Amino acid sequence: MNLNLLAIVAQTALLLLLAPLVSGVIKNWKAKLQNRRGAPVWQPYLDLAKFLRKDMVISEHASWVFSFAPYVVFLTALLVGLMMPLVTLQAPLDLFGGALALVGTLALGRFFLALGGLDPASAFGGMGSSREMTLSAIAEPAMILAIFTVAIAAGSTSLSEMVRVGQSSGWTFFDPAHALAFAALFIVLLAETGRLPVDNPATHLELTMIHEAMLLEYSGRYLALMEWGAAIKQLVLMALLANLFFPLGLAADGTPAALGLGLLWFCAKLLVLVGAVVLVETTNAKLRLFRVPDLLSAAFMLALLALVSTFLFK
Amino acid sequence: MTAPASEAASRLIPLLATLMLVFQLLLVVQRMLITNIRLFALQSLALTAIAAVVAYAYGAWHVLVVAVLTLVGKVIFLPWLLTRLVRRIKIAQEVRPFVNMPASMLICGALTVLASVVARPFTSLERLGSNTLPVALTLLLTGFFLMLNRRKAITQVLALLTTENGVMLAAIALTTYGMPLVVEMAIFFDVVVGVMVLGLLVFRIRESFDSMDVSKLNELKW
Amino acid sequence: MLLTTILCVPLLVGLLCLVVRPRVLLEALNIAGFAILLVLGAALVRSVDAQPRGAVTEWNEFLRADALSAWMVLLIAVVSLATALYAVRYFRCDEASGALTARRVRDFYVLTPTFATGMLLVVLANNLGVMWAAVEVTALSSVLLVALYNHKTSLEAAWKYVMLGSLGLVLALFGTICAYAAAIHPGGGETMPSFNWSYLLGIAPQLNPQLITLAFIFVLVGYGTKAGLAPMHTWLPDAHSEAPSPTSAMLSGVSLKIAVYALLRFHILTTACLGTGFSRHLLLGFGLFSMVLAGPFILTQKNLKRMLAYSSLEHIGLICVAVGMNSPLTVFGALLHMGYHALAKPVLFFAAGNIHQHYHTLDFRRIGGGVGRTLPVTAVVLCLAAVAVSGLPPFGLFVSEILIVTGGFTSQQAWVSVVLLAALIGVFCGMLIKLSGLVLGPARAEHPRERMPVGHVVAMGLPLLALLVFSLWVPESLRLLLEQATNIIRGIP
Repeated sequence: MNLNLLAIVAQTALLLLLAPLVSGVIKNWKAKLQNRRGAPVWQPYLDLAKFLRKDMVISEHASWVFSFAPYVVFLTALLVGLMMPLVTLQAPLDLFGGALALVGTLALGRFFLALGGLDPASAFGGMGSSREMTLSAIAEPAMILAIFTVAIAAGSTSLSEMVRVGQSSGWTFFDPAHALAFAALFIVLLAETGRLPVDNPATHLELTMIHEAMLLEYSGRYLALMEWGAAIKQLVLMALLANLFFPLGLAADGTPAALGLGLLWFCAKLLVLVGAVVLVETTNAKLRLFRVPDLLSAAFMLALLALVSTFLFK
Repeated sequence: MTAPASEAASRLIPLLATLMLVFQLLLVVQRMLITNIRLFALQSLALTAIAAVVAYAYGAWHVLVVAVLTLVGKVIFLPWLLTRLVRRIKIAQEVRPFVNMPASMLICGALTVLASVVARPFTSLERLGSNTLPVALTLLLTGFFLMLNRRKAITQVLALLTTENGVMLAAIALTTYGMPLVVEMAIFFDVVVGVMVLGLLVFRIRESFDSMDVSKLNELKW
Repeated sequence: MLLTTILCVPLLVGLLCLVVRPRVLLEALNIAGFAILLVLGAALVRSVDAQPRGAVTEWNEFLRADALSAWMVLLIAVVSLATALYAVRYFRCDEASGALTARRVRDFYVLTPTFATGMLLVVLANNLGVMWAAVEVTALSSVLLVALYNHKTSLEAAWKYVMLGSLGLVLALFGTICAYAAAIHPGGGETMPSFNWSYLLGIAPQLNPQLITLAFIFVLVGYGTKAGLAPMHTWLPDAHSEAPSPTSAMLSGVSLKIAVYALLRFHILTTACLGTGFSRHLLLGFGLFSMVLAGPFILTQKNLKRMLAYSSLEHIGLICVAVGMNSPLTVFGALLHMGYHALAKPVLFFAAGNIHQHYHTLDFRRIGGGVGRTLPVTAVVLCLAAVAVSGLPPFGLFVSEILIVTGGFTSQQAWVSVVLLAALIGVFCGMLIKLSGLVLGPARAEHPRERMPVGHVVAMGLPLLALLVFSLWVPESLRLLLEQATNIIRGIP
């Protein structure tokens, strides 16, 4: 366990502040691509402030799970974020198991999210939960395989270690295993953050929503926590993609100059990734629900190929 | 002994070979015919790139002929021919294959592993030293699977062509300096004329059966 | 320039037929071309005989004809000529009854010489890659011939044929490339070794054994598909039965043997390299499987030409078994068998063609019986040819089969001979039952007796006559040729 209180606090602050901004940028750029003006990039901050101020209306059928779930979702997302090297080479928190802990924690969050959707006994919530679980059943193995591919190449499951090895070896992206794992993880990113073509984050139609369905009954403070947690999860997954496969510009020491440079590099990589996500979202229509397993199986296949090619191209 | 290849070449070739494999996988799951033809064109482009890299890195200018022939034939001419055929026949989409998408992807994964296992004893014979022989065998096996799985005649033609891509990749892997020019030209012309004949046959089948679905060709038994 | 001339004659005939209009001229060109080919083939046999150990080569060893090649050239010429003679009346009848348009008939006369050129290139090319390309040329030209009638069943047969054939050829290409790769390693240096078969045979002990094994396996499956070895034979009954009868005659009579020839070249190479019986055991296994598989299918056939196609399957199996047994008697018998079968099988298809044109069906049950009354000449020819193909004396197939069986007994492979005999007897019974049901019996009322023009009868009977003559008398030059070919196959210098 590697505890550095200052680093933990700093990274937590970074996560909390950057996550809504990423959501805002995605929405804004998507609007621009669709020839609209779109909401300003800091709109999610205003939304969160609004939700925190408002009263909550809770269904009388809901149990303690309903109240517990938002905190779990928020905290697991933060925990996972602390395990990821964002700006510095060494993540503040280094739980035993590294990548496994990451996947497990995310799974825990998702589990409670689904329970929270089921708990108030609304039809939409249950539907959203079942859809979410179906998709994650295929997406999770793909994610695990892809991360393991990188872990095998690096010789450790610790995320910081993987990034460090990647930084020293150079030309990592040209390795076919890494390229395939990146492609697989990109598709998983789309699935996990509920983006087109898997799920439309802007819709509330019964036919099409998955993530939004589970949030339908939440309001006020709980909704703010849920949204914030989802945004942090999105940021963390993007950081995973960016830093694991393009470990450039990460600060090796704690000097302000290195940290500043690291932050700049991180934001640049995020912006490129955001651009890619926006492009994919705008050019694709939402897949029908029973076509989504095809896409996710393709991701699984790519991850499997990545794993096989680590042994192939030794 | 062969001249040592440059670092970039030995990095680029496995990447391009994996790219060919990814395109093959996409071919197995894609249903739109025109997209399939484009995927095949891209796969042949990757093969051309591999040939070009090998020619440059090893100074084997003979292989450059292969690259040019593949470019002209499989990247430009054949896809154009097949696209023209698809537009004339006016069938855009594949019907349900015999095995559905996730299952076919799993089968392709299994075939990849099988090919890697089978090619293990022969990796020492490879001249490129970058294990492209398993990829070639995978292309061969998945091409067969594609032929069995699909019902539209055009897709079967594409499957045959991807199998041939696999063989040409194996040729580059096993014989770095390529084969004699006359052989390369002969193979090239054969493939092109073969596809033209196949295209003619597909057109006649479409006219006669009113469909390209080869599962309807089942009258002759035993 | 003999070899080049041999290649150019049918090619020129094919090209000329593209531009020529009158049908009579088409027919005459084909017949003349193949007659010239026959004469050239005989000359080739003479000249190969004159060079005891070597072979006739041209263009710096690009074209090479040894005894085996010369024998195949002769077979191709004979079968093509017989086909061209028969096709005259066959297509006139088809065009008159409206089964084919004039354009399709012209397609036949263009494609058949192309088919023949491809086959000639296969046997004359020294370069293994060019050999592969030539096999592909024969496949493509025969596909269009199979689809000539454009019926649904013809298209289905053609599609199966082209798909399986192309698949097999891709595998054979892989095997050919492996064989070439095997030559690179000992060759060393930056130069590219020659792809010539004669060169590879010369350095055989230095070839990489792993690659050669891999090459042979792929080539066996690949060219075996083209040769119709079981279990890759599923295209054979369809293609040979749906094609017009002249084409079926050429397909069954010669093109299967061309694929076996390609297989043999690799077999010789593999045995020279590995030194063990690996390749011949594989050949033996596949051949036996083909023979054993053919029997039940012949007994249960309902279509005349499909039955004949299964019979071809059986004979090809027999040839492969005989080569696999690798004793001097059996290999000589195999080569003889190739020749006699090439003379007898086309006649069967010619008779079947006549029956088809008269009854408009090939189904046994729908024809009923009484072919002997309705088409007497055809029935006689059919019976004689069936007797020949079943291996009864006095026809030559009896001699070749006896040689093979005896060779099996003398070379301690008695069990193979026993299996062979059982399979041959089974096929003989099957054909006897089917054909007697067809030929004997009263004529059906709606099928009056039909007279055949004399020329047609001659066209059908000529191969049969040749078979009879050559069964009883093998010219000295031919015998010498076959002995040389036997030695080449057995790898004896």
